Amino acid sequence: MGEHFSHESIRTYADGEKIFAEGDTGRDLYVVQRGAVEIRKATKGGDLPLARFGRGHFFGELALVHSLPRSASAYAVGETRLLVLQPGGFLLKIRRDPTFAFELIQQLSHRVKVSNDRLVSLVESSPSAAELIQAMKDAEEPAK
Amino acid sequence: MVVISDLHLGNPFSSQSRQIFEFIRWAAKEGFDVCINGDGLEIAQSSFTKMTNEVPDFLRALAEVRRAGREAYYIVGNHDIALEHFLDDWGMMKASPFLNVLSGGRRVRIEHGHLYDPFFVKHPHLYEFLTRLGAIPLRFFPKSYRLWIRFERWKSGRRAKRTGITGEPQAFALAAAEIAQRGFDAVVFGHTHHAGRVDLAEGAEYLNPGSWLLTPHYVEILEGEVRLKTWSPSRSGGASA
Repeated sequence: MGEHFSHESIRTYADGEKIFAEGDTGRDLYVVQRGAVEIRKATKGGDLPLARFGRGHFFGELALVHSLPRSASAYAVGETRLLVLQPGGFLLKIRRDPTFAFELIQQLSHRVKVSNDRLVSLVESSPSAAELIQAMKDAEEPAK
Repeated sequence: MVVISDLHLGNPFSSQSRQIFEFIRWAAKEGFDVCINGDGLEIAQSSFTKMTNEVPDFLRALAEVRRAGREAYYIVGNHDIALEHFLDDWGMMKASPFLNVLSGGRRVRIEHGHLYDPFFVKHPHLYEFLTRLGAIPLRFFPKSYRLWIRFERWKSGRRAKRTGITGEPQAFALAAAEIAQRGFDAVVFGHTHHAGRVDLAEGAEYLNPGSWLLTPHYVEILEGEVRLKTWSPSRSGGASA
């Protein structure tokens, strides 16, 4: 019962090893089996840690679902082992393991909530909160 | 946490309700969380009289778990599938389609398992029809169910290459292995009414406490250890199954 299907594999990474870089065009989705993964975004002020994922968490979904280049880089934290779902394997995985889809939705909606809370906290703590809010409203206006 | 499964309270062949309530009270006193892993309440084959007799005592026993400062969880199965959309805190227990438990650094998935039953998935309407039809003989000959279980074990034993728990289709062990790939150390199902334990790849394991109606097995999750045990009221505790 250790078989792996086509379009999925197991990869191991050493502590600090890069899993993928921002801008890469890979399409794999990863699930953390062992260890942890840190997602970092390059900014003018240096690398910004965006998130850390432990066992059972997934990452890399934007590339798989939206066919976008990697929006950030991923690094192993400690010895890390990942289940890698390649294109063609994602829907089959959900068919074999339907609660995977449920947990994807749970994790994604939680991340949206965390991002929203962070945004609200940043805006509220800014001296130019009113201007920031107006700028965000303007950005949402459809093009005229 | 202790996990029991397939109580089928309200079913004509459900005859162990007193023992179930005693077990839940014992678990509360010992400081365990309690998880009812599906088919706790029999909605598909119920006798309304039995339900009204048994459900209040069941809820009272669960309330004792809460009073002891512990949690009671109710995972929905296929005989109580009408409850599936209730992901909620009902006061004396929390309802959920599955649970992910962290104990001593190990991750355990608890799920009823009906989603991996090949017959249930391919023919849900026929499955439900046969389930309701099965209530008729059970009403008159409740112990006839044990014959069915023996038949399933015999059929499973004849398979040349057998993996998984005796009596179950292989699909359940395969599903447990599939889930374990996502970073779980142990997977606990119910549904099949066959108790047992098998090793999976990479040190993971699959356990099933079976149905309390047949044998009073439970799964104990304590400090990272996941064990299949048998409850004995006279011993006021469990022994390894």
